[in-house]
Amino acid sequence: MNTNIAIEAIGLVKRYMTYERIGLFRRRRRVVEALKGISFNVRKGEVFGLLGPNGAGKTTTVKILATLLLPDQGTARVMGYDVVEEANEVRKVIGVSLTVEKGFFWKLTGRENLKYFGMLYGLDGQALERRVNELLKMLGLDDLGASDKLYEEYSLGMKARLSLARALLTDPPVLILDEPTLGLDPPSARSLRELLVRLAHEQGKTVLVTTHNMFEAEIICDRVAIINEGLILAVDTVKGLKKKVAEDVSLEIGLILPAKISSSELLEKIRSATGCPCTLLHGEEMHKLKIVAPSEEVDEVTALALRLLHDYKCKVRRVDVKEPSLEDVFIKLTGRGGF
Amino acid sequence: MGRFLTLMKSGIMLDLYWLKNNRASFISMMLWPYLMLGLVLGMGFIFGSSEAFQRNIGLKVNPITYFVASTVVVMACLGIMWDVGGNVLFLKWIGALPYVIVAPHRISMTLILSYIPRYLFLTMFQLLEFIPLIFLVEGIKQGIFKLGVMVLALTLGMLPLLGFSALFAIVFMVTGEEESNLLSWLNPLILLFSGAFYPVALLPYWAQLIAWALPSTYTIELARLSALMGSPRFAQIIFLMGILLGMAMFYNLVAYSFIGVGERRALKKGAL
Repeated sequence: MNTNIAIEAIGLVKRYMTYERIGLFRRRRRVVEALKGISFNVRKGEVFGLLGPNGAGKTTTVKILATLLLPDQGTARVMGYDVVEEANEVRKVIGVSLTVEKGFFWKLTGRENLKYFGMLYGLDGQALERRVNELLKMLGLDDLGASDKLYEEYSLGMKARLSLARALLTDPPVLILDEPTLGLDPPSARSLRELLVRLAHEQGKTVLVTTHNMFEAEIICDRVAIINEGLILAVDTVKGLKKKVAEDVSLEIGLILPAKISSSELLEKIRSATGCPCTLLHGEEMHKLKIVAPSEEVDEVTALALRLLHDYKCKVRRVDVKEPSLEDVFIKLTGRGGF
Repeated sequence: MGRFLTLMKSGIMLDLYWLKNNRASFISMMLWPYLMLGLVLGMGFIFGSSEAFQRNIGLKVNPITYFVASTVVVMACLGIMWDVGGNVLFLKWIGALPYVIVAPHRISMTLILSYIPRYLFLTMFQLLEFIPLIFLVEGIKQGIFKLGVMVLALTLGMLPLLGFSALFAIVFMVTGEEESNLLSWLNPLILLFSGAFYPVALLPYWAQLIAWALPSTYTIELARLSALMGSPRFAQIIFLMGILLGMAMFYNLVAYSFIGVGERRALKKGAL
């Protein structure tokens, strides 16, 4: 294994067995293939994003890397340790945060929770006390007056900070974080993102973060893997990924849909008429139709799309042509939106 | 040894914090055995006197001592089965299970070892609560002896029950379904078979066979022996101690071998 690689996944496959009730007493077994042979690596000291929609396989990947799930096929190594054969060694070099909204004892304060987990992870005495104080300060929980508050009184932002503090307890070289900013208000999400970047770029930690937030991935990730339906579609820097669709432009049409229209049917029509990948982003007042089109065909695609929208009795409010974003890369690679 | 101590210490720490932050719940927990005892004795005295009780069971025994022993030991058995067996479900419910698993210890060891201090503390505290009552009804000399046997029963009785309850933890780990907490209906059955409500001798033969396989039967038997004895009968105590130690080895070895398999199956299935 290359010494510059912190995490290496090779051909990971994971299937889940689910049971579907088909009668009062009968169940049908169904196999869901969550990962279909994904491979990627994460370099030491970088923030690496696993970007994909719900059900893409992000959490399954993270759980395998965190030794919480055994893969059916393939191997994965963290800091050179095999996640199956050397799970205990892997556990010593990782910090994990899977959900921000729970995972602690409700009747203990933030400080007490950290002390308990710290002890469980092998810290003790003065070292534990010092590390807990350091983290409460670093994560801003002291400033928020939350260190000695019961966990049940925490806001989601405080919970997210505490979750990251636990992941950092043993000062591990690798952090594995599943949607660390999910549900946070913008200021909390922003400060957490800044902290993750600082941890990677100033302290040399390797941060693997999953997200379905394109904006977040674009801001914090040094490299991004786009994952969809259990497959890695592309791995590159955000810049590199954008280059893949540099010859394309993003056509954004603001519109109001008639009440009875099926958006999936409309999208399918536009896709087949224009030959371009597209997605519909739902807004409160207005929806946004995004079409990733080759720049030389943008006029033709616009005319075609507008005609179709007119046929479907959609009210068009705005038409914009933009440079591609990470979201456009995703639409281009997967052929659809759906975040 | 270091790992063993770390897990014990983390258990003590967790419990002390919990007690500090939940005083009301601690007080109600301490009152509970007295309430239970009061209810059992109250019901008993409505239907008859202490003499009637002694006539019915055919031994000269104080019903207060008898039911104190029963109450403490039944609560201890229930506590172990819920806390060791059901802890997987609790940790899963609060979302802390993955973070306990990523600690560099076996999950089963964490569940069992971090529970031992809580068991010893709560059980002994509950027993301490009854000291004035036992001294009052038995006198100081007999009281000390009988309390000693109860402490022995509770400490030795814990050992096989830890392994026995760990088997439930394996089932919960593998099934991974929080709603199917079989402990809620299995616990009363186990207590029934163990002679907590009726003497084992009064149960049908097939139920007696189950009773002799359960470690809780001997824990309850040993604790009650303290109440039933008018004078020390060491042979009986040593016999029950031997059975409990044998069962401790058996159940803990079985649990140890199956837990590894259970953990692996749960990790494979994604149940954790």
